[in-house]
Amino acid sequence: MRKLVYVLFVLLVFTAISSYAFGADKLTVWVGGHVVEQEQTWKDIIDSFEKKFGVKVEYQLIGFDVYYDRLVAAFEAGEGPDVSFADLGGWVPTFAAKGWLEPMDKYLNNADVTKQIWPNLWPTVTYNGKRYGLPWYTDCRLLLYNNIMFKDAGLNPEKPPKTWADLLSYAQKLTDENKQIYGYGVSGKKSEVATLGYMIFLYSNGSKLLDDNYKKAVFNNKNGIEALEFYTDLYKKYHVSPPGTPSYGEDDYRSMMAQNRVAMAIGGPWSFPLIELANPDIKGNYSVAIHPYGKKPASVLGGWASVISTTCKDKELAWKFIDYITSYDVWMMWIERHNGPMPTRKDVCANAPGFKDKKWQVVLSTFPYAGVRPPIPTWPQVSEQIQLMIQKVLTSDTSASKAIAEASKAINSILSK
Amino acid sequence: MKKNKYITLQLALIIYIFFLLFFVAQPLLYNTSISFQDPSGKLTISNYIKFLTDPILHTITFNTFIWTIGSVVFQMLMGLIVALTLARPFHGYVLARMILLVLPWAMPDVVAAVSWQWMYNDMYGVINDILQKLHLVHFSIPWLSKPELARAAVIIANIWKGYPLSGMFYLAALQGIPQELFEAAAVDGSSPLQTFFYISLPSIRKHIITTLMLTTIWTINYFPLIYTMTGGGPANATDTFVTYAYRLAFRFLDFHGAASVSTINFLVIIIPSLIYLRILNIGGETTI
Repeated sequence: MRKLVYVLFVLLVFTAISSYAFGADKLTVWVGGHVVEQEQTWKDIIDSFEKKFGVKVEYQLIGFDVYYDRLVAAFEAGEGPDVSFADLGGWVPTFAAKGWLEPMDKYLNNADVTKQIWPNLWPTVTYNGKRYGLPWYTDCRLLLYNNIMFKDAGLNPEKPPKTWADLLSYAQKLTDENKQIYGYGVSGKKSEVATLGYMIFLYSNGSKLLDDNYKKAVFNNKNGIEALEFYTDLYKKYHVSPPGTPSYGEDDYRSMMAQNRVAMAIGGPWSFPLIELANPDIKGNYSVAIHPYGKKPASVLGGWASVISTTCKDKELAWKFIDYITSYDVWMMWIERHNGPMPTRKDVCANAPGFKDKKWQVVLSTFPYAGVRPPIPTWPQVSEQIQLMIQKVLTSDTSASKAIAEASKAINSILSK
Repeated sequence: MKKNKYITLQLALIIYIFFLLFFVAQPLLYNTSISFQDPSGKLTISNYIKFLTDPILHTITFNTFIWTIGSVVFQMLMGLIVALTLARPFHGYVLARMILLVLPWAMPDVVAAVSWQWMYNDMYGVINDILQKLHLVHFSIPWLSKPELARAAVIIANIWKGYPLSGMFYLAALQGIPQELFEAAAVDGSSPLQTFFYISLPSIRKHIITTLMLTTIWTINYFPLIYTMTGGGPANATDTFVTYAYRLAFRFLDFHGAASVSTINFLVIIIPSLIYLRILNIGGETTI
């Protein structure tokens, strides 16, 4: 909370100063996401960019809680920053459709960095066939689990569950309702994490959400219903997820996992520092594995991209900045200092010494399986329908097939507009 | 001399009017005008039609109604009880007043919301712990996970957050009642209950009506508690006009749709406001 107040205060001061003291010939940069915690590193990167190109950069590191609202308000007012960070969960196409972002193809086509980016990231920054961003860091969702609880339940932490059947039998062994200990945390709260949870189950059951043109919902079928049934039955039928499931998401379960109360949940590379922050003793006692699957391994990727606003006066300079922070040297320096998050550059992932660690190897080997959230401007509305669908099944007698039918209908009507 | 003072007063008023125009009238006009536009700026009433024909309208109207009635009634009752308790000084009075009348009101919204969220938690929340230790329940209640319970849970949190305001109004009113009235009642052998119904209550009647109106308006518009605790869930059970408008604007980037929801919300709030203004006027003509 103090941090948030501090960030807000710095923001206010910066905004005040920037609107009075400086002219327009400076590059303004807004950074969001988990990486804003590394204040010193950002200062060093900006300093070296300023020296190298002899320009002035005004940057703000903005905490996640307030970042989206601030950015949207700034863009809507026509005062967006020259360069900003956009979440790969649909922000780029949403902003592009509003006309807030500058297409980047003319820079990307001739840049060396383009060849190094993991190819499955490009759809997240593409809208109407044009690319509007350069992905900067990424991640993929995995199964995060507690080794101590595995051992206490007589399970081998070296052998995580592979399939849905394994997942259920492991979770049942791990659950002890009398002690309020649960095997697997189902993300059920009304938030994007519920959508992501269902998507992993859906993708891994050989289905997907929308057709290739993003015009129609295509999960109202046997595989989709099976995935929703299994996802919700973990809570409703098998009781391996806590009673408060409809109000919990993966972040809540990570905290419970740190206290040895929930054994497995969806997590990712960003979870490592956070779970250790919640309980330092957990260090070395948690692992990650590819999430148990129905028919084939699957994951969903996330992360952040740098984008240029249409109101930016010096777009060449904006591109130079983006190219610079995504360069091999800057990324290697970052990884040497912080050992995470996962760079979008394949060469850095392959060469960074810190990534030889077992947990990172799991992340890197899962990444190619990771799908994207449909990159469409209406994604927030679509995602909300999926959250409602999940919550309906979790909190009432609505059957999975009925909830899916309703959700598909609502999504099709959103997509047809 | 007198004329100078008059001008000073007028000047002071101009600043106030300027701020009122700038921070109230301007956003209100802007909001109303974009509510009648589509994204390309064309004049349209489609935003209103879309909202008024959306099935969610029933849900959020019902929720807003329950949320407002539940919060207001119990905030006012709680406030009255606390004000009556604090009407006479007693040992530890200052501390009690601080805790009862200042703490909940002074706590920032999001801090209060997160604290309540933790207290309601079914894995390590203090409410479930107390209920179990008292043997009232033998299992943890997932407060924020069942639609009806969640609705009650956010209202309970809001009652706690909002009652000090009613309490302060009543306390001020109660302390303004001439002491002689109570003394006279005591001499006449009036019971505490009679004193309350024949002296205290009639004396603070006006304040109760004022508080009722203000609390109603604020509760309809109160947003951070619900949004932080449930996000409007589970399954829309705690979605109100304001959480819906917020979602339209800042999640779906539908600023025009959000503006039309806000305008309708504004019209709904105008009703208690007008009643309030009318009562204030009557209050000017008659004495308490």
